[in-house]
Amino acid sequence: MSVQHVSSQGAQRLGTQSQGAQSQGALSRDARSRDARSRGTQSLGAPPSPEVYDEVAYAYDGTLEGLLSAIFAAYANHEYPSDVAPARLLQPRLGQRVAYIDTNESHAKRVAAGIRRQCGSYSFEAVKRASLSDQPDAGTAAYRFVRYAMDEQKRRDCATCRKSASCPGARGKGPCPKRRAAAFSDISHPAVEPLFKITRAINNECEHMRQFIRFQHLGDGQAQDLWFARCNPKASVVPLIMPHFVERFNVQPFIIYDEVHHLAGVYDGGDWYLVNTGSAENLTLPLPDPTAEEQLYSEAWRTFYRCVSIDARYNPELRRHFMPKRFWKNLTEMQETPAALRMQG
Amino acid sequence: MNVIEKLEILADAAKYDVACTSSGVDRSGRNGQLGATRAAGCCHSFTPDGRCITLLKVLFTNVCTYDCAYCVNRKSNTEVKRTAFTPQELADLTIGFYRRNYIEGLFLSSGVVGCPDRTTELMVEALRILREDYGFRGYIHAKAIPGTSVELLDALGRLSDRLSVNLELPSQQSLGLLAPAKSRASILAPMRHIHDSIADDKESRARKRKNLTIYQSLAKPVRRARAFAPAGQSTQMIIGATPESDYHILNLSASLYQTMQLKRVFFSAYLPVVKNPLLPATDAVQLNREHRLYQADWLMRFYGFNVAEIIDEDHPFLEPDVDPKANWALNHLDFFPVEVNTAPLEALLRVPGIGVRGAKLILRARRQSTLGEAELRKLGIAYKRARYFITMNGSYGGKGVDFSRDALHARLAAPIDGGRHGRRAAKTTPGQMTLFESTEQAAVLPEASASNKAALETAFEAQRRALNAANGPVAGIAIGASAAVAPSAAASCSTSRREENAKGSSNAAQRGMPQAAGHRVTNPGHPLLQVG
Repeated sequence: MSVQHVSSQGAQRLGTQSQGAQSQGALSRDARSRDARSRGTQSLGAPPSPEVYDEVAYAYDGTLEGLLSAIFAAYANHEYPSDVAPARLLQPRLGQRVAYIDTNESHAKRVAAGIRRQCGSYSFEAVKRASLSDQPDAGTAAYRFVRYAMDEQKRRDCATCRKSASCPGARGKGPCPKRRAAAFSDISHPAVEPLFKITRAINNECEHMRQFIRFQHLGDGQAQDLWFARCNPKASVVPLIMPHFVERFNVQPFIIYDEVHHLAGVYDGGDWYLVNTGSAENLTLPLPDPTAEEQLYSEAWRTFYRCVSIDARYNPELRRHFMPKRFWKNLTEMQETPAALRMQG
Repeated sequence: MNVIEKLEILADAAKYDVACTSSGVDRSGRNGQLGATRAAGCCHSFTPDGRCITLLKVLFTNVCTYDCAYCVNRKSNTEVKRTAFTPQELADLTIGFYRRNYIEGLFLSSGVVGCPDRTTELMVEALRILREDYGFRGYIHAKAIPGTSVELLDALGRLSDRLSVNLELPSQQSLGLLAPAKSRASILAPMRHIHDSIADDKESRARKRKNLTIYQSLAKPVRRARAFAPAGQSTQMIIGATPESDYHILNLSASLYQTMQLKRVFFSAYLPVVKNPLLPATDAVQLNREHRLYQADWLMRFYGFNVAEIIDEDHPFLEPDVDPKANWALNHLDFFPVEVNTAPLEALLRVPGIGVRGAKLILRARRQSTLGEAELRKLGIAYKRARYFITMNGSYGGKGVDFSRDALHARLAAPIDGGRHGRRAAKTTPGQMTLFESTEQAAVLPEASASNKAALETAFEAQRRALNAANGPVAGIAIGASAAVAPSAAASCSTSRREENAKGSSNAAQRGMPQAAGHRVTNPGHPLLQVG
C-alpha cells in the first residue's frame, strides 16, 4: 500500500491523476467487492477493518460544490476515501494521506444531476443539508450515502413492472421514478442513518432560527430603514431560513447575520442574497442607530415576557429544553436591560 | 396610563388562558402584506415555567361584569387595577411585535365590559384594523364571549383563524356554583354555532373549488370572503377546582371532539388566585394530574384510542405512576407482543415507547430491511420501554423479565419529570427502597400531600352544601358521590388501586363511586352537551 505520509498541516494539493490513486486501483476493487459481499451483515457504522477504505482523506473547501466535487473525485480516481471533510474541520488520522480536492463547478453539477436522477431530489436535499453542517463527519456521511445509494439504485430494476415499456428506468436512463425516493428511505441502514441524523439536526436548527430570530428596527424610518437580526446557529442555516422570512416580512428590508459562520442573508425589498463576511478582518458592521420606537417595543416585549409566566408552575429545566441557553444572548426577552442587546459587531 | 403599563396588567390577567397555539392553518405570504402562517405553528419563546409563547396573549380589557368565583378578573375583586386597550393600540402593538419576530399573531380574549355584544364589537374593531388596514396575514385566535349575538360572532370568525369558547368547568353543577352568570346553554350555543359555521364555510368552499356552484349574476364576486375560523375551534376547562373525576372529564372531551369537532380541549390545573370558601385554598397545583389528562387526550387524538379504553367508571382517575398508554398495555397483555416487522400502524401505536413518529419511521424503514434491536434504537424508539411488548423477527425483546402485569408495571412506572427547581422537584426518588419498611411512605409531591387533600375536601364539602341549599338534594348526591373519591386519592400508591381493581365494582359502589345518572356518560350525547 503506497501511502504518502504528510505532516498534519500539509494538506497536500493533488490533482485528479495522482500517483497514489493509480497504484491503489487494485486494492480499491478488492475492497469494493468485499464491501458488497458484507452488506447487511457487517455494520459500516462500526470502525471498518483497515483494508475496506483507502487511507486517504478528501479535503474540500466547505461549500456544497466542494463536497460534490469531492464525491466526483472519488469516482474519477477509483478511490474510497475514509474521510471527506472541509479542510478547516479535517483532522487527518495516523498514516492517512490528505488530498485537497479543488472545487469544480461542472463536476459538481454533474454529481448533483446524477444524485437527483438516480436517488431523487429528496436525497439531494439531504446532501445539500450535510454540506451546511458543522459536524466534521457530515461530508463523510454524505459521500458514503451517495456511494451506497447509487449502487443500490442500480439493483432496483423494473423487471416486474407492467409499464416497463414506457418507463425511463427500463431504457437505462435511471431507476423507475417511483423508486427514486427509496434511496433515502432505508434509514436504519448504516450508510443512510448518519445522513438522516444530520439532516434532522439541520432541520431542527432551522426551526430554532425561525423561532428565535429577533429583529431590531434600525435607521430613522425614512431614508434609512433596516431590520437587523443576529443569530448564532450550530450550522450554516441562513440560506435555508431566508425564504421563510422573506415570505412573511416582505414589507421590510432586513438582514439576518450569522455571527458564527460570518454569513449575512440580505433582503433588500425585492430579492434576497447571501453576503460572506468571512474574509473581512475584524469586521465592524456600520449599522444605523435603533429607531425611537425600538426601545419602546423591546421594553414592551420584555414586560410581556415577565408577566405571562406563572410562578406556581416554575420549571426552568423545561424552558431550557425548549429554548437552549446558547440562544439567550440574542433574545430580547432574556436581557437584563433592553440596551444589553449588542448592536455592533 | 401608557401602553406598557396596560400590557403589564392585561397580559398578567390573560396568563391563565392555557391555549397558546398558532397551528391549524397554512396561509402563504402575499407581496406587500405582512405575515404568513404555518399549519405546524411556531413557538417564539418559552416562559420560566416552560410554556410556549407563540401569540401575544392579552385581554382586551380586564373590566368584567361577571363574578366567576375562580377568576382573577371577577367583578368583586378590588385588588386588581382595571384598564383597557383601544383597538388601535392593540393593533399597533401586535404589528410591532410581529415585525420583530416576537410572535406568530394575536390571542385576544376579554372581560365582559357592558354586555357581551359591546365587548365583541370592540374586539372585532381591533381585528378589523389588523386585517384590513394593516393587511395582516398572521395568526389570530379570538375568544368568543358567551351570549354574543350571532352576527357579531360571524364577523369575529371571519377575521380570526381560530375561535374558542371556554367551557370553564367540567360540569353543569360546578358551573352554576362557581360561574353563576354562565350556563351550560350559553356556552354550548356559541360553540355549536361556530361548529356549524365552520362546516358550512368548508362545504361552500369545497363546492366552489369543484365548480358545482352556478352564480346567478355574471359578475364575479370582487373579493373572496375570508374563511370562517379555518383553524377550527378549541376550548378549555379548569381541573381540580371541583370534584369531577378524570373519567368525567375525558368523556366530556371525547364527546366534544366527536360532536363539535374541536381541534383541542385544554386542561388548566386550578391555581388559587382568589380566596373563596367554595374553592380549594391549597397552593398545590395538580400539575401531574393535568399531565396525565393531556397524555390521555393525545391518545384519543393521535393514537386511535377510544375513551372507553383509557378509563372506565370503576377506576375514575388515571394512574399516577404509569402513563395511560402503558396502563392500557398492562391491562391488555394478550394483545402483545407485537411483531414490529409486520404489525400494522394501529398495532405499533399501541406499544408503549413507540410514538406516532416512531411508528411511521418503522413503517418506512422496514420496507427495505428487517428491524432488530440495533435498528430500532437507531430510529429513536424508546427501546427501554418498548422491548417488553415487541418481537423483532420472532425474537422477543423483553427476555429475562416475567411477562406479567406486576413485573412489567415495575419496569414501566416512572415519575413525571417536573424539573429540579420548581415545586414538582422530586424530594425523594419515588419507588426507592428504604431500610425501614414500617415507615409510612411520605408524599413525594405537594399535590399529593395530606394538607392538600384536606384543603380539597374542605372546599368540595362547601360546594356540596351550597349545591344542596340551591338545588335540593338530588344534584347534591351526584356531586357528593363523585366527591367521595377526591382527586388527591388518585395520587395514592398504586398497590391499593390494584386491590380495588380486584374487588371489583361492588367495592366501588360501597365507596360511592359516581354511578348516578347525572354522571353516566355515553359518547354522542354527553349530558352537558344537550342544550335544553
